[in-house]
Amino acid sequence: MPERVEVTISVNGRKHRRQVEPRMHLADFLRHELGLTGTHIGCEQGVCGNCTVLVDGQAVKSCLMFAAQADGQRVTTVESLAEEELHPLQQAFKDAHALQCGYCTPGFLMAAAAIAAEGRRPSREELREELSGVICRCTGYENILIAVERYLEDRGEVEAVGG
Amino acid sequence: MKSAPFTYVRPASVEEALHVLDEQAGAARILAGGQSLVPMLQMRLMQLDALVDINRLPGLDEVRAAGAETIFGPLVRYATIERLPLVAERLPLLQCVMRFVGDPQIRNRGTIGGSLAQADPTGEVPLSCLALDATIVAASVSGTREILIDDFLVSSYTTALEPGEMITEIRFPLAPHHFAFLERNRKHNDFAVVNVAVVGRRGSDGGWSDLRIALGGVSDRVVLAVESAALLEGTTLEEDAIAQAAQLALDVIDPPTDVRGTAEYRRHLVPVYVRRALSKLRDDHEPFDA
Ligand SMILES: Cc1cc2nc3c(=O)[nH]c(=O)nc-3n(C[C@H](O)[C@H](O)[C@H](O)COP(=O)(O)OP(=O)(O)OC[C@H]3O[C@@H](n4cnc5c(N)ncnc54)[C@H](O)[C@@H]3O)c2cc1C
Repeated sequence: MPERVEVTISVNGRKHRRQVEPRMHLADFLRHELGLTGTHIGCEQGVCGNCTVLVDGQAVKSCLMFAAQADGQRVTTVESLAEEELHPLQQAFKDAHALQCGYCTPGFLMAAAAIAAEGRRPSREELREELSGVICRCTGYENILIAVERYLEDRGEVEAVGG
Repeated sequence: MKSAPFTYVRPASVEEALHVLDEQAGAARILAGGQSLVPMLQMRLMQLDALVDINRLPGLDEVRAAGAETIFGPLVRYATIERLPLVAERLPLLQCVMRFVGDPQIRNRGTIGGSLAQADPTGEVPLSCLALDATIVAASVSGTREILIDDFLVSSYTTALEPGEMITEIRFPLAPHHFAFLERNRKHNDFAVVNVAVVGRRGSDGGWSDLRIALGGVSDRVVLAVESAALLEGTTLEEDAIAQAAQLALDVIDPPTDVRGTAEYRRHLVPVYVRRALSKLRDDHEPFDA
């Protein structure tokens, strides 16, 4: 039996206690232990950013953090966004045609959610830099920038994203 | 793409961390931001018996002023350095280079201590620490020692740290006010092909002193162009002098050929980038304003 450690991680407002192998990264924890497959895995070396989630409100690549490190912390994933209807950020992506295959979309949504949660309104150039940690191979990025910009403009007051 | 199994240790104190490192005699490493260590483990470029996670240790993520010195805990993250007014005021070069390290997610996690221990020959943190003449404080079960950055950086991904040692502080002396930084990348956020950091002090007579020119991506570690800087001491950085110093920088480099560029290309870039960095230093000589 490989060695295991006990972790309690709050994901989208719900606490989960599990025994995990120390080498299990947070993205695998979310997908395999909790069945939250919205967090996508692309490269497992921190380059593609598709696995971006929020840990204590900060955008991080969940393949570069072990689940054991997130013990006691708050994790927010793409599943926190939509309830009955699409979250306005997701709707903005849909309206602006900011996705084609959709594989990278959870990463962009969470990177954008981090900006929104901080209540910031970056310029187009700043936004390009802010979102540069996620790679998209379909859209050419312009529509993603448009979607995030529109969302940040429209939503007025800061709304908390997820738990 | 999964790491080999390891034991996860979350020590309650630096002493305990050092004790584990000592016990494991080289088979354990510190886990800081994890932005280099985790990919290396997952690509199986490295296999370890234990990881010592220092992320919860209190007090390691602070920056403080101590007289002329500025002292960083090893766990100060890039994102903090990017935003901290104290860094803008005292070490504007260090703040300026942060935007060139990875992307926002990487910068939310990566740490100054991890970057120094990683000793990437293109690393913006080692580069600016060399330009700013930092001192590394390393602790082990047998005590602490101070290591000058120039002695600390040994070669590619290799430092003067012993297996049982941990970086506990990074200390910067008073920095010259003026700086310039330039970097050549293949693509946005990639590791540099070549980068250059220069600092100096401009006297009231327009003459420059305390110049330091650091170069990255040009050898097995970041290097100082000592002779180039000496040549410019006391000058007003006129074009001829800069051109001569830029050419002289070729003497200190031994560039690699790798996926990011050939040795020949880097040899071409170095004088160009040194010249541009020095002109920039001369031309925007207002102290950096955050
Ligand atoms: C997509 C991507 C892009 C990147 N781009 C860049 C870039 O452009 N420029 C750049 O410089 N870097 C880049 N990096 C690497 C990044 O800067 C890392 O954060 C850094 O190299 C290591 O810092 P860390 O805190 O993450 O350390 P870790 O990954 O946790 O550790 C790295 C090494 O340092 C050791 N270590 C850590 N802390 C200590 C300590 N206090 N004492 C002793 N040893 C210690 C560890 O044991 C390990 O061997 C990139 C990484 C990724 C994934």
